[in-house]
Amino acid sequence: MSDYLVKELMVPLSEYATVAEGSTLFDAVLALEKAQEEFDHTKYKHRAVLILDKDRQVIGKLGQLDVLRALEPKDGNLDDINELSQYGFSSNFVRNVRKQRRLQASSLQDICSKAAKLKVEDFMQAPSEGEFIDQEASLEIAVLQLVMGHHLSLLVTKARKIVGILRLTDVFAAVFHTMKECENTL
Amino acid sequence: MKELEKLLDRIVQRININLRELDYDVSPFIKNLVPLSQMVKFYAFYGITPHHPLNFEFRHSSLSGSYFLGKIRTSNSMLYKSDVRGDELKHRGTVFRYQKFEIPLSRDEGIDIEDSFLVKTLVHNYSHDPESLEKFFIKDTLSTHYANIHGSPSDGCFLGPFATVDLTTIRDCVIGAFSYVQAGEIGHLNVGPGTVWIRSPDQFNFLYRHSLRNLNPYINFGADRPPQGLFIDFVEDRKGDFQRVFDVVKLDPPVLVPRNASLDRFAVIKPKIRIGENVLVAQRAYLQNAWLGKGANAQENCYIINSRLEGFNVTAHGAKIIEADLGENIFVGFNSFLRGRPKARLSIGKDSIIMPHTIIDIKKPLAVPDGHLVWGLITDAASLQANSMTLKDVSKIDGSLIKGNLSFEGRGASFVSAFRDRIHHILEANGAFFNGTDNSGHAQKNQNISFNTIQPYTDGELEGLFPTIIIQP
Repeated sequence: MSDYLVKELMVPLSEYATVAEGSTLFDAVLALEKAQEEFDHTKYKHRAVLILDKDRQVIGKLGQLDVLRALEPKDGNLDDINELSQYGFSSNFVRNVRKQRRLQASSLQDICSKAAKLKVEDFMQAPSEGEFIDQEASLEIAVLQLVMGHHLSLLVTKARKIVGILRLTDVFAAVFHTMKECENTL
Repeated sequence: MKELEKLLDRIVQRININLRELDYDVSPFIKNLVPLSQMVKFYAFYGITPHHPLNFEFRHSSLSGSYFLGKIRTSNSMLYKSDVRGDELKHRGTVFRYQKFEIPLSRDEGIDIEDSFLVKTLVHNYSHDPESLEKFFIKDTLSTHYANIHGSPSDGCFLGPFATVDLTTIRDCVIGAFSYVQAGEIGHLNVGPGTVWIRSPDQFNFLYRHSLRNLNPYINFGADRPPQGLFIDFVEDRKGDFQRVFDVVKLDPPVLVPRNASLDRFAVIKPKIRIGENVLVAQRAYLQNAWLGKGANAQENCYIINSRLEGFNVTAHGAKIIEADLGENIFVGFNSFLRGRPKARLSIGKDSIIMPHTIIDIKKPLAVPDGHLVWGLITDAASLQANSMTLKDVSKIDGSLIKGNLSFEGRGASFVSAFRDRIHHILEANGAFFNGTDNSGHAQKNQNISFNTIQPYTDGELEGLFPTIIIQP
């Protein structure tokens, strides 16, 4: 496994979907679509968009779940529902309340149209401490970080600057390839 | 007054260290809550009866205008116009039953207030904490105007104005203004203002949240200022009436009180009062043009004005009933505010339960039918419809119910029966069922209390503090 280095598996930042801070969710979706078109179609699709500040530094990551979360109703009721579990209500009860609220809300078209105008910063996830990895790190270290932090990707750095993204799917492909090699040599 | 300032600073730090996880700083709330000069102005007093242990120990504390009954200990604490009523504490030898456990008490239970600041707070009932049977502790806690700490040991907590914790051990919690919590045991929770939460694990869970926009005109509390709103104005407007009963050493009862009823000499009695048999009127209750039928009660900080209670009514601590007619067996929960108008009276049908911290404030006549459960904020017939159900229908719930701001999960029948049992127990403890020989309660036992007063240092470094005082038989 140690033959692989992170820099050989990562997607370079230039090939990844990025948007500037202040963009809307719709801008992010368009950027994702464009990046996908330009990317090698034989590989897995991108599933996230990186958010860059004015110095082109990565300040956050917007995943598919983050976009879906933006469709949740935004009124004060949402906070109230989120608090129900702190008051000892069962997860089943909380789920039913959410369903009821969703059924009372607008159509999917209306919700999507509203969500498209929202800012990416409100839904992106700021990278946490364990989400950075040096491009010279080995595959073992990458696997460890992904497993320990339950991450779907890691931000790859070179001299503290983000130069790419290491996706779970690429790491898995490398591990799978190594496994097959091992089995064939036996 | 240096020592008092130091004491307050110490209490603030002790509370803040407990609430650090919630990132809650009580300093801005405690500032201007009570000017320290007020702590010198009022004597404290304690009751002596043959029915309750006489056992007080006050150390390094300020007790301004506060009342004590039973076995009480305070240390490094400040109490301002608070009532610490230990007439329901457990006695030595009592067997405490909890789940499969049966534990006899090795000594009389006592209320132990340490490193705390209680402002116009009522402390009553007994510790329901199975892990602390002999000690009803209140530690590192700030409670503000008209809060109720009822059978609820508290450690490292902040209670907003008109908040109630009932039969619940609370640790490192913030209980917002006008919130009511009865949940057994909670820790590290920030309960927002206007939350009414009653939970019995595996049985039921009742949660109602007042909208802040609607609640603010009644009560709101922010940093650097005392609590504000209609509730505060209401009690402030009647403050002068209490002045007389606290200034005069001996007062003859201004009305005829049956031999089996009790009218506390520190209650305010305005003209046209009728007190029925087995009635209990506690200290700091306020009655004006009120008719109290057999077995009714008015507990601390209750106001009953231009109203008639037919009998066996529980008016829990802090409840206010104005321009209303109540049938028999009605429970009006803690701090509820029921206000009709002279030409728009409120009537409540028999066997109804008005949930704690309910507001009914009407401008047109309104009638709550018999046997209803009522909660929330009600201003007219439509909001009554939205915030009430027959108790029969509540009993049928088995699963979940969402109705407006109310969330309910569990068995409605358990919820109703828990309330019914509780109401019966309160009436029993208050002596409502006394028959001349059996079932005596507070209405009979609290009749002949004598009161002694104690005073603080009025000058010097210890100004506002009381000397160490130990009072025993």
